Amino acid sequence: MSGLENIGVKIINPLTPQTDGVSGNADAILHELVALLETYIDSGENSAIDLHSLPLTPTDYELLRATLAEGEVHANINAVGNTEVRETLYPGVWWLTYYNVEGDIVADLLEVIDVPEILKAPAEDIRDGLVRLRDLLTQME
Amino acid sequence: MDLLQFARGPALTWAFAIFVFGMSWRLLGILLLKRRPDYSEPRHATSWPGAIKLIITRSWPRREFRPRTVFGLSVGYIFHFGLVIVVFGFAPHIMFFRSLTGLDWPNLPNAVIYISGAITIAALIIVLGRRLTNPVMRLLSNFDDYFSWFVTITPVVTGMLAVAHLGARYETLLAVHILSIALLLVWFPFGKLMHSALIFISRGTTGALFERKGASI
Amino acid sequence: MNEPDTLGASLTRTGISRRSFLKFCTAMASLMALPPSAAYAMADALQRTQRQSVIWLSFQECTGCVESLTRSFDPTLEQMIFEMISLDYQHTLQAASGTAAESAREQAMKASYGKYLLIVDGSIPTKDGGVYSTVAGISNYDMLVETAKGAAAIVSVGTCSSYGGIPHANPNPTGAVAVTDIIKDKPVMNVPGCPPIPSVIAGVLAYFVTYGKLPELDHLNRPKVFFADTIHDRCYRRPFYDQGKFAKTFDDEGARNGWCLYELGCKGPTTYNACATIKWNGGVSFPIESGHGCLGCSEPNFWDKGSFYQPLPTPLADNAPVIAAATLGGIAVGTVAAVVSRKHQADIGTKEGK
Ligand code: SF4
Ligand code: SF4
Repeated sequence: MSGLENIGVKIINPLTPQTDGVSGNADAILHELVALLETYIDSGENSAIDLHSLPLTPTDYELLRATLAEGEVHANINAVGNTEVRETLYPGVWWLTYYNVEGDIVADLLEVIDVPEILKAPAEDIRDGLVRLRDLLTQME
Repeated sequence: MDLLQFARGPALTWAFAIFVFGMSWRLLGILLLKRRPDYSEPRHATSWPGAIKLIITRSWPRREFRPRTVFGLSVGYIFHFGLVIVVFGFAPHIMFFRSLTGLDWPNLPNAVIYISGAITIAALIIVLGRRLTNPVMRLLSNFDDYFSWFVTITPVVTGMLAVAHLGARYETLLAVHILSIALLLVWFPFGKLMHSALIFISRGTTGALFERKGASI
Repeated sequence: MNEPDTLGASLTRTGISRRSFLKFCTAMASLMALPPSAAYAMADALQRTQRQSVIWLSFQECTGCVESLTRSFDPTLEQMIFEMISLDYQHTLQAASGTAAESAREQAMKASYGKYLLIVDGSIPTKDGGVYSTVAGISNYDMLVETAKGAAAIVSVGTCSSYGGIPHANPNPTGAVAVTDIIKDKPVMNVPGCPPIPSVIAGVLAYFVTYGKLPELDHLNRPKVFFADTIHDRCYRRPFYDQGKFAKTFDDEGARNGWCLYELGCKGPTTYNACATIKWNGGVSFPIESGHGCLGCSEPNFWDKGSFYQPLPTPLADNAPVIAAATLGGIAVGTVAAVVSRKHQADIGTKEGK
């Protein structure tokens, strides 16, 4: 009726990268991961890399995905939208992708740590949960 | 009001006013002058073919002087053509003219504009260098020459900086560019830049006179 | 009325999990380009400390800025900012009204004098003693001056409180001014935009709540993280601009091919905002992506910079009458000059003749 669908629209992504599409940043990240892992082993200090803070081309992303690949753990956290926690092929290196309710990525991080903080149940929440469970049982009695 | 608003607003309005005022004043003041009475018998019935002929022939170096003038002349031609390409071929400039006149024409690719702009700047610098180093030219030059050169090159330089987003924020660069054009417009009718209009009038008049007298052109 | 009101307590009350909160902190840290470790620090510190008291004053405004922050899809991460603060006065959102509402403001001021954060949306009318906008019989001007005295810092949310905005537009009948025109002795951060992007508002507030100070500001008091680049700097249509490929109407071939909207009046090159990167409606798109040029809504005087559809390099005024008048003037002067010269020529002629 509106005729909108008759208007031809070409979607163009003019940000097509150069010939091989690699900016070199993926490589830099991988090298940084090595350094961060060394620090973790030496001093137990955890760290993270914010993937949004670096300009990455789609090919850079692919390269990172392919190199780091999938490890043994894959978890989804359902809290104000999904959060995907994936262990990579290299234990201690985790890929965390935070989505909002609409499914857009709000943060994308690589963490170097034994277990990502967000997977652990926070002490306060455990305490709150205990209170709730107790309440429930008293109500049932 | 920020600088860009000032440049696009009052600065341009005043510059336009002064420009058209000065142009019509000077052109009319010259065109309405009394012609000398010519007592000789006219050799040709019409004199305008001579006018056109002279405008064309004088735009080309005479054979006798060619070795001496060819360099200066070619550099001169280069920057004049460069200016035309940049002024009338660049899309934002066409938007400017369209908003003033309603006329529209296709723009040239930006790459062509950038190259022409760079060549124009280089040619203009060479021209200044020649003026400063050649003792005769130096003697002949006055403030008008240097200032006219200055108001011609600044819009090109500021324009190039604006497209490249170089040196300052875009709004500042654009404002400075527009202000430099305002300065050019204000100076135009009163300095040697007026040659762009007068050159054809003076050559035409001379040509017409020659034709009438039967002098070879 | 406030017992030690920590964020942790508030989270428990509202049933928001710590994980959600940590996620919020991570998203904010990433948005503000803070190191990832800042998220944990943020989450950790905020759980324990008392919630930041905030007084939010709305002056000559359309409530669009509050809407931008509160009415985005529900529930959003941005809205979690309300968990981090204790919003002690906001006359659109609070339940109390009339005298109770005003006393809430006075109480909050007394309770954390010198420590509360003051948020302002809307411009302040100054003409005729400021009568054009009053709350509870107090003029906006007086309320701002009084409330600013005890504020640790002030955040102007939206173009109106940052620069005067639409009320300030010519002829500015109410004499509307920005917060910074009145308050000179307090740190003021401007978060312009009509309205500002919700995550930008949330991000800078989260920063203040976490670090107890304003983020780094530019010469117009804007947070540098969000306002360092123009829309044009980050615009995905930029390659077309660089090639000189412009859409000439909203439905021509160029528009369909997604060419640059400069010729259709896009103000992206002179507008500092984060639309091109953070985008709107939870990252769906931003105006240029929808085929319309940027209006420059986050710039001072954006309403008085000519038509939204007028290309940037064109003159603002209608110069035709001036040009016509100047031409006539030039013709007149030129004619007089010619007459004088002709007389002179005639004089010389007769002299020569003699
Ligand atoms: S659409 Fe606007 S912001 Fe984007 S490149 Fe063109 S002028 Fe710049
Ligand atoms: S694109 Fe421009 S006009 Fe639109 S919201 Fe962003 S700054 Fe405002």
